Amino acid sequence: MGAEADMELEFGAHSDVGCVRENNEDSYRVAPEMNLFVLSDGMGGLDCGEVASRMAVDTIVEHCRKGRTSDSLPLTGPRIDGVSEMTNRLASAVRVANRAVNSAAMQNSTGRPMGATVCVVQFADERMSVAHVGDSRVYRLRGDEFEQLTHDHSFVAEQMRQGRMTAQEADSSKLHNVLIRALGVDPEVEVDASEELVLEGDTVLLCSDGLTRELTDAQIAALLHETEDPQEAANRLIDLAKQAGGGDNITVIVLRPAARPVGALGRVSRLGKWIKDSAERHKR
Amino acid sequence: MPKLVLKFENSILKEVPVGAKEVSIGRSPENGIVIDNPAVSHFHARVFNEEGRIMLEDFGSLNGTFVNGQRVKMVSLKAGDSVAIGKHTIVISDSRDLDGFANGSGNGKPVPPAPKLNETVMLDTKARRDFLQKVAAVGESAQVAPARIKVGTLIVRKGRTDQREYMLNDKLTVIGKSAMATVKLKAWFAPKAAAQINRRDDQSYYIGAADKTPSVNGQPITQPTKLSSGDVITVAGIELEFVYRD
Repeated sequence: MGAEADMELEFGAHSDVGCVRENNEDSYRVAPEMNLFVLSDGMGGLDCGEVASRMAVDTIVEHCRKGRTSDSLPLTGPRIDGVSEMTNRLASAVRVANRAVNSAAMQNSTGRPMGATVCVVQFADERMSVAHVGDSRVYRLRGDEFEQLTHDHSFVAEQMRQGRMTAQEADSSKLHNVLIRALGVDPEVEVDASEELVLEGDTVLLCSDGLTRELTDAQIAALLHETEDPQEAANRLIDLAKQAGGGDNITVIVLRPAARPVGALGRVSRLGKWIKDSAERHKR
Repeated sequence: MPKLVLKFENSILKEVPVGAKEVSIGRSPENGIVIDNPAVSHFHARVFNEEGRIMLEDFGSLNGTFVNGQRVKMVSLKAGDSVAIGKHTIVISDSRDLDGFANGSGNGKPVPPAPKLNETVMLDTKARRDFLQKVAAVGESAQVAPARIKVGTLIVRKGRTDQREYMLNDKLTVIGKSAMATVKLKAWFAPKAAAQINRRDDQSYYIGAADKTPSVNGQPITQPTKLSSGDVITVAGIELEFVYRD
């Protein structure tokens, strides 16, 4: 865990109800002490969506926190090969959140279905763990390359992956908001988990579909390029999405590995410590 | 635009439009239509557009390509023709409607109700299962079978690294000097993270730029690029060959 302390992250986050909806069903949590950032888009109407998304983000942060303080906390669900412990912990947290939302939905007296999407990232140095379910997205901007790191668990995205629909057809499809995977629908959920490299100068964006329905990738990338402060970038993305219509709730988290003078100083101080330690060893 | 509909028994596995670009068919994952069956050659046949005519050419495959029951070498196809390759069938359809699943395509599947504007909805459990089963059918019959997952391997051809070969078992492989790098560069001025390789959920590998822009077969990449067996990667003074191992 010591490695995580070296990672200096700047972040900005913001959520807005948009221009059409009456309530905001999105939720997000930042836990910078764990370099953990999570966003969820709830669904179900009335206040069910809000309850579901808040439950999802809270449960995930809680499970990760417990995992840090107790090495013996078992993983929920199958271990994923080829990824770190941290990534497995995130996937586990998402599965726990799924169960929480699912049992809440079962007890829900309104009888309305209740569910949520979720995307979550956690950093350890340059390694970023990503886990997600649904159509909330994680992007990385590196130079001019703006890459979506998650793939949507939506009906149209799946059709496109199979070559049954072109991007144009998907955009104009009436079914673009039909999800094929979400938290809370079934007692078990398949979680997509992956790992990514994040370098100084990169920007990572987490967002709900309220952002990406209104703005193109090019618009988002341009704004991230020209806005240095992550919080300002988050605010401006939401303003822009609202100007474009704001048909849905909009939530964004903008993350940037800091241009770390801290790291350089840290290195010097570590060198100093090493020299001191060597001197101590020498004395003995 | 005419399209090729890949079928196995009665289920539709894939639909591929035939546009300006040719569609190759075979067992190798590089093909536009992948049929993972031992009776199918790695590069079995291709379908291409020649002055508005849809042409089918068999690449001299061992077990042959059949159109309406006749073994063929090169023929012109028309809507309704049925191409048999191994146990799979490819039907030529002239439908302009690619939204086969949603509109049923005559298979009588229920259509998910169109949701209200901007309200995200979930497919109910049954509809989702039907759908996922279709996805699974594609996974089992027309792509690399899970039991035979091939692992990408990097072979070092030039440059100083800590090993000669690297099996790419992880979802993320970093090439550089960083502590998290799998392919560790030894040169004094090597970058912390020169490039990255991601193994995606379809088990294919993509190389992307990090501190450096790698070249694949001599071409600098402009976006994450899918690796094929035999590709040569050059980055930060080293040369690596990518191969698939069983």
